[in-house]
Amino acid sequence: MTDLLFNLIYVLLFPGLLFCVVMGVLLAGLDRIWVARMQRRVGPPLLQGWYDFLKCCGKETIIPRHGKKAIYYGAPLLGFVALITISLFLPVVNGQAAFSGTADLVVILYLLTLVSVCMIVGASATGSPFAGVGLSREMVAMISYELPFVLVILTVSKAVLAAGDGASYTFSLQAIADYQAANGPLITHWALIPAAIAMLFVIPCEVGMHPFDVSEAETEICEGTLAEYSGPPLALYRLTHMVKMFIMTALFCVLFLGGISTGFVVLDTLILIVFCLVLTFLTMSLPHAVCARFKTEQVFQFYWTVVAGLAAVSLILVWLGF
Amino acid sequence: MMVTNYIGCFVLIVLGLYCMVVKHNLIKIMMGMGLVDYGVNLLLVTVGFHYGGTAPIFNIAELTRASFFVDPIPQALTLTSVVIGACTTAMSLALGIKLKEQYGTLDTRKIRRLNG
Amino acid sequence: MSAFMNNFPVLAVMTLFVGGFLNSLVGRRHAVLQKIVVLVAVTGALAMMLALIKPVLVDGEIITYWLGNWEPVEGWAIGIALEVDALSLFFGLIVVVAVFVSGVYSFTYMSRDDSLVNYYTLFMMLGGSVLGLVLSGDLFNIFVMVEIMTFTAVALTAFRSHYEGALEGAMKYLVVGSLGSTFLLVGIAILYSQLHTLNLAQIAALLPEQSDNPLAGVAFAFLFIGFASKAFLFPFQPLAADAHAVAPASISLMISGVLTKCGVYGIIRLCYILYQNMDLAVVQYLVTGFGAVTMFICVTMAFQQHNFKRLLAFHSISQVGYVITAVGLGTALGVSAGLYHAMNHTIFKGLLFLTAGAVQHQTGSLDLDGLGGLAKKMPRTTALFLIGAASISGLPPFNGFASKWMIYQATFQKGVETNNFFFIIVCVLALLTSVLTLASFIKVTQSVFFGQLPEKYKDVKEVPLLMRIPMWILAVLCIVTGLFPTQVQNWVLLPATNAVYSAAGYIDAAMGEGYAALHNIVSSGVTSLGVSTCWSPLSWLALLFCVTCAVTIVALLGSPDSKEDSHVSTADETAEELDPKYEPFFSGEESVYSQVGGSDLFWGFKHSWRKYFTFWTNWHSGVVNDYTLYGVVVTAFVLLACIIVL
Repeated sequence: MTDLLFNLIYVLLFPGLLFCVVMGVLLAGLDRIWVARMQRRVGPPLLQGWYDFLKCCGKETIIPRHGKKAIYYGAPLLGFVALITISLFLPVVNGQAAFSGTADLVVILYLLTLVSVCMIVGASATGSPFAGVGLSREMVAMISYELPFVLVILTVSKAVLAAGDGASYTFSLQAIADYQAANGPLITHWALIPAAIAMLFVIPCEVGMHPFDVSEAETEICEGTLAEYSGPPLALYRLTHMVKMFIMTALFCVLFLGGISTGFVVLDTLILIVFCLVLTFLTMSLPHAVCARFKTEQVFQFYWTVVAGLAAVSLILVWLGF
Repeated sequence: MMVTNYIGCFVLIVLGLYCMVVKHNLIKIMMGMGLVDYGVNLLLVTVGFHYGGTAPIFNIAELTRASFFVDPIPQALTLTSVVIGACTTAMSLALGIKLKEQYGTLDTRKIRRLNG
Repeated sequence: MSAFMNNFPVLAVMTLFVGGFLNSLVGRRHAVLQKIVVLVAVTGALAMMLALIKPVLVDGEIITYWLGNWEPVEGWAIGIALEVDALSLFFGLIVVVAVFVSGVYSFTYMSRDDSLVNYYTLFMMLGGSVLGLVLSGDLFNIFVMVEIMTFTAVALTAFRSHYEGALEGAMKYLVVGSLGSTFLLVGIAILYSQLHTLNLAQIAALLPEQSDNPLAGVAFAFLFIGFASKAFLFPFQPLAADAHAVAPASISLMISGVLTKCGVYGIIRLCYILYQNMDLAVVQYLVTGFGAVTMFICVTMAFQQHNFKRLLAFHSISQVGYVITAVGLGTALGVSAGLYHAMNHTIFKGLLFLTAGAVQHQTGSLDLDGLGGLAKKMPRTTALFLIGAASISGLPPFNGFASKWMIYQATFQKGVETNNFFFIIVCVLALLTSVLTLASFIKVTQSVFFGQLPEKYKDVKEVPLLMRIPMWILAVLCIVTGLFPTQVQNWVLLPATNAVYSAAGYIDAAMGEGYAALHNIVSSGVTSLGVSTCWSPLSWLALLFCVTCAVTIVALLGSPDSKEDSHVSTADETAEELDPKYEPFFSGEESVYSQVGGSDLFWGFKHSWRKYFTFWTNWHSGVVNDYTLYGVVVTAFVLLACIIVL
């Protein structure tokens, strides 16, 4: 019974639904304020994302003529749920995941893919040509960041394995967390710094933040994948977007900044929040303020040459035993 | 004697492959397939041949350790293989006739609607 | 095990063959009788193979059946044997399930064609030959079965000879396929000249002693290329693409799900049992290299396709590349991952081909640029397609994910263990191929099932139930094998992997106890796969369920006035057409048809890789001479490699 209760708390409150949503709204709000400040604007209130969400929920849902209702409603829900599920597998606090041992890095990678796929299929189901262009771009963006992401995952796994006892050869998140708890954060390992930088670049593209938001380019293709969405499904997409900011930054913390533990859950959580804020500023607000949106093929080329190159350098260094 | 056979089947196979790679007429390609087939059949027979051996026809009482005969199994294999070769030829010729009806040509450079 | 069960392997093969002949005798006049014969034969074969699960997979027995009771004398196997170990049965099960599903599907799918007697006769012969191949314990029998398989497949490819390109595809398949068969025969001849036996078990016992014999290496090269051509590995993949695109969908299922498995089975048998040389680095490079190259080239070629089934064909070969990659690692985990993926490949690829067939059956078209919006007209087919697409793209919790997960683990583990960067590149390629697979299935989803419905497909109907049942069987298998990976591993993969690693057991079962030890063959078998933490989809699903409930509750609390829904759902087609709420968007004008076609997607990616794509498109020139040339060149390469190194 207590197990069930704890599990419910994990799923609903911390680190599940409630915590993710709060963090997502917080990060998104701060991001918008920071960008506004850098552009000498005042910016919206901190909770603007939440207000948007509520307002969308109250609006009527218009399913387009060519749309498919079940998928129109189902895709956003499934995507959001998959995203929340990731938070339960990340050993963010105290080096422990809420449900450890049931998922590893590859699973996380595919759950993130699933989130994007839900968005793509949902967009596709609306039948809009704008959505068609949008989903095509979203897919290209996905192909773009997947290569560096995969290389980073392999690098980190190899780095942990090289130092470990060699018994387990999995992409285990727990092993990564344990290693960092024993040996300090991975980012202090100089050979991993290129991989960390590559991961920093992966974050905004995965989230779909401004310079890389080719799939939702408002001015060119009317928000692309979201063009035909309205009402609660749109609200859910917006929320997914915000929560993704938190999940990706938290994933970075798990991969490179783990092992900083004070022993108190509250303090640890605060540290995590601080890290997430800093990462949000570095990877999302700053590029947003200084860059114009990339073209699709620029995104692709950038990620497959520069970012993947950085990650590959790191992988080779780790492989050679540095 | 045996070396000639091996050279022979090697030459046959290579010629057949050459025909299949270089010739653009479907009929010539089928001839190439036939040549390769003959080469392999020759190889099979040669593998089982013992110089000076007798035909492998005995009943169980006559069979002794001293009896020296050519290996019967490759010959059985060759028979099967010859039959299969005939099937290949028949099948490819049938397809060739139909192709000629549909495409109006037997030039492989023109029979390439399925590509890319 | 009852003694009668010993006859089941040969009976299963004969049921299919006899069914084929009976069908041609009685089926010409009675259409119903014809279907009954087919149904009885495929069900009989299925039942017999299922009955063998208990003794072979669970109890680990090896069934040996000597045709005509010609048992080995003085250590020489003269007779022809059928030998069923767990590996053979594993592939045998794949075959009979695929034959069953394909047969049932054909009843409706082929109902508009004539000369169905020929179709079913060829179909049953195809099924019988493939089953015979995987159960056979005799090398020459394998060659004969390969030939029957190739011929029936060629004839069935050309079955709808009025289709554009059907004859052409069949012709290419015949020419280059016979090249592969010929190499197989050359390999067998050379092997026979060295060992004077054709029995697999005896060859397995004698071959390792010949390890420094160059002719054994040559035979290996020829046999490997022979089986590789049957699995359509690089450079034979154009054949598969041509044959799949034009064959009836039920035959595409057979070609992709069953014929390629013969190649995979052959390669596993060859490398692990016959030569037992899988621990040599060069063989690992060879097999894994072939697999990885196939996997990557085919998935990128799929981007260029405009034909639904041709696209599926390239994906099919790409997935076979995965299987071969994993098998080539030479570790127990790799083999089991490969076998798992082989099984899953048959299931999800079969499902996808059948949905493609359903689309073709109802619309008469497979053109990705011309179709669209079928989800409204064929919702069940769409759901089935989405299950298949999610499986092949490796999305959790479907079966493709479970097996790909094992493949990543296996390649990475191999790379770390041997400290070899080659395997890490393979691992990256495998992960990348997966996302590219996803991309091109997004393309199909968008351009066939979603988007806007062209005017001419306004009256398309859902496919009949009899066609949906086989698809649902495969879809349920997709989900079940994905949800219970641990059980699949323990009950199916572990016995099969164990069989792969017990050459001695295989030899002894056929040649008598102690024969393997006489020739210094010892094999330990495999007792565990060595995956420390397995991905457990059930707990994930439970979580998913909880979160879904939570979100739904919150959503319902947040918007109490959700009565709008009923309003939307009651509005039928005609009302929607006149609904004034669209007017602000279209300024009251008629909406125009605008659909982003399949080939217009993924612009940024295709543009950046245009040179690569142009090169490979030109490479798949469609000229049969070129394909033959590629085959010969690669054979020469493998031959050289084997002569120099082995």
